[in-house]
Amino acid sequence: MKIDFPSREFDEAVAAVCHGLGSSEQMRALNELLRANAAARDEYLFRAELHSRLASEPDLFARENESKVTPENILPLRSARRPRRVTWALALAACIALLATGWWVAQVSLSSGRKGATSKAVAMLDRVVDAEWNQRDEAPRLGAPLEPGWLRLKSGLVQIVFYSGARVVLEGPAELQLISPDEAVCLSGRLVAEVPPQAKGFRVRTPLMNVTDLGTVFGVEVKQRQTELHVFKGSVEFQSPAGAAKQSLLEGRGAIAGGANAPRLIPANPAGFASLFDLQNKSSEAEVLRHEQWRAASGRLDEDPSLLVHFDFEQTDLTDWRLPNTSKRKDAAPDATIVGCQWTEGRWPDKRALEFRGVSDRVRLSVPGEYESLTLAAWVRVQGLDRQFNSLFMSDGFEAGTLHWLIRKDGVLGLTVINSGPGDVQIVASLSVLALDEFGVWAHLAVVLDGDGKRVTHYVNGVLVGEKTLKINRLFRIGATELGNWNASGAPDNDPSLIRNFSGAMDEFCLFSRALSAEEIHALFSVGKPQPDPLIQTRN
Amino acid sequence: MSPDSERRCEDPNAAQQRFLSLFLRSEREIFRYVAVLVPNVADAEDIVQQTALALWEKFNAYDPAQPFTPWACRFALNKARQWIERRQRWQALLDKGLAEELAQRREELKPEFERRLARLDGCLGKLPGEQRELIEGYYYRRAGIEALAGESGRTVEATYKMLQRIRHTLQSCVETAARQEEATA
Repeated sequence: MKIDFPSREFDEAVAAVCHGLGSSEQMRALNELLRANAAARDEYLFRAELHSRLASEPDLFARENESKVTPENILPLRSARRPRRVTWALALAACIALLATGWWVAQVSLSSGRKGATSKAVAMLDRVVDAEWNQRDEAPRLGAPLEPGWLRLKSGLVQIVFYSGARVVLEGPAELQLISPDEAVCLSGRLVAEVPPQAKGFRVRTPLMNVTDLGTVFGVEVKQRQTELHVFKGSVEFQSPAGAAKQSLLEGRGAIAGGANAPRLIPANPAGFASLFDLQNKSSEAEVLRHEQWRAASGRLDEDPSLLVHFDFEQTDLTDWRLPNTSKRKDAAPDATIVGCQWTEGRWPDKRALEFRGVSDRVRLSVPGEYESLTLAAWVRVQGLDRQFNSLFMSDGFEAGTLHWLIRKDGVLGLTVINSGPGDVQIVASLSVLALDEFGVWAHLAVVLDGDGKRVTHYVNGVLVGEKTLKINRLFRIGATELGNWNASGAPDNDPSLIRNFSGAMDEFCLFSRALSAEEIHALFSVGKPQPDPLIQTRN
Repeated sequence: MSPDSERRCEDPNAAQQRFLSLFLRSEREIFRYVAVLVPNVADAEDIVQQTALALWEKFNAYDPAQPFTPWACRFALNKARQWIERRQRWQALLDKGLAEELAQRREELKPEFERRLARLDGCLGKLPGEQRELIEGYYYRRAGIEALAGESGRTVEATYKMLQRIRHTLQSCVETAARQEEATA
């Protein structure tokens, strides 16, 4: 194949390369041409440049809808946009690097590279106790979907729930490869699989035997030259990979495969797997401990003189519609009022959270005063981004000097700072941080409005995800405001973008009358994160 | 204490913040640098991601007196090379020194490219609604060609062709605008 320039073939080949669809032949021919013909090379470069500019300059597309009523509409809306990938890698890189230097650091609860709705996940990481991973690239985080691939656990216990319903508790050191919702390969380590009837047929392959479940609980231990199988409940079928006949094994029985001989039958030994059965207990102990540690830190936080509002959502009387502000500051804002909403489980099983579901669910509060700087932080579990703008914390209407803190439909965090009114605002958007994969997982969100340093900074789980220069020079206030909803107050009521109810749960909220530093935001995340890190073990 | 040893003792969190803010500022340029070699968006993003990891690992060696972007682009070139080595098709496109030649020539042409692309915003604004929607869907919403075909009721092939035509339209538009400017200057 030969490509001339200019020619239709050249156009075709360049377009194909831009979409990653060029054939080997095409690409080889293009190489010949570009090396020989300077004009073709310059033309190719410009086409690639135009293409990459379109892909990397969201501002080019951001100016639509400017004429619409509400200022947030100026923000581009990217409903089906793929989550940005680079920043997660960075956060992860930071973790890896800090692991190497022995620093304790919180794992960043942001997925890398997963593509929202098109996730290929086959399982999720459900529980973690003292886990240390050997993953070179991406260590899984708690609650994260797991795609096919290797899990290399150095030590500790993890529970993986396959999408078929099978639950596997794995004890490190172990190497497990996830194949599909009903298949895994174990190269080393110990595991216990609990397989409910709907997941019957779940398979665990090992170098020396393949185990097919027939509705059971069984344990497998893979050592260097020997694999043990123990059936604790129900029955399984197993087979040496060499093609020997399938054998079934009933409850209370076991088998050892190793060497050239046929597998040897043994009695099952539940005691040998006791630590794995213990996961439930261990992880609930760990959760209680985390909750207590957070409660202690929370008490200290209430003494901070800059803390205007602190909702810990820890009240005992669930029929009370008041949400107490626990800040010890004398002139702190009064208690808030719960409208609608449901009480639900928070970051830990015995922690409470308020769930926002309906369009009228909200928490109303009023914060007096004017401030040069403000910091907002909340622990939330996003259930879905149903609205164009999903309110986290929004002052009523578009009053001068007030704020709207929200999550856009495309997973971008936004802070709208209102200067003189609806037409005069500054909107600071983060990168796209919440993809489908983040739904249902507790995340710490924070935004710092620094009037002195003239900056607005967004954080997710203690990591900076967006920063802009603040262009509005004035004192800021909160006034009448809502968590999880918005009172449009006077704006035309037929615009659907005015419905901004949040869908998800919140179990802590803080408002400070100063700009917290990146370190302080990170500390808030650290003391409140639901689990000890799956990525890096805490230093106890 | 020398500035160097000072930096090593720096709080890792602060270093991370410093790195992030430098990287975020350079990220688009790094992406475009990579996209000259591997224009396919998803692949270029993968390479940028790997670059980010490598940059952070070597961040200790970064001299803040030097501009960040060129330093980062050297890593990006390496990462792109490694990526290409593992993919025969891309190797076929970029071997015999073409990768280096493209990267270098782009540097030379950059001022000219910038001049032309300054018109891109206006040219996008002139696209008919349907075309504008498609280009926005592909480059901004990052919907796949198949998804876009589904949304619009066109075939995948027609959607692909249409994207190619729109890019051509945009290119003609920015080049014409740049020429006119030249003529009136």
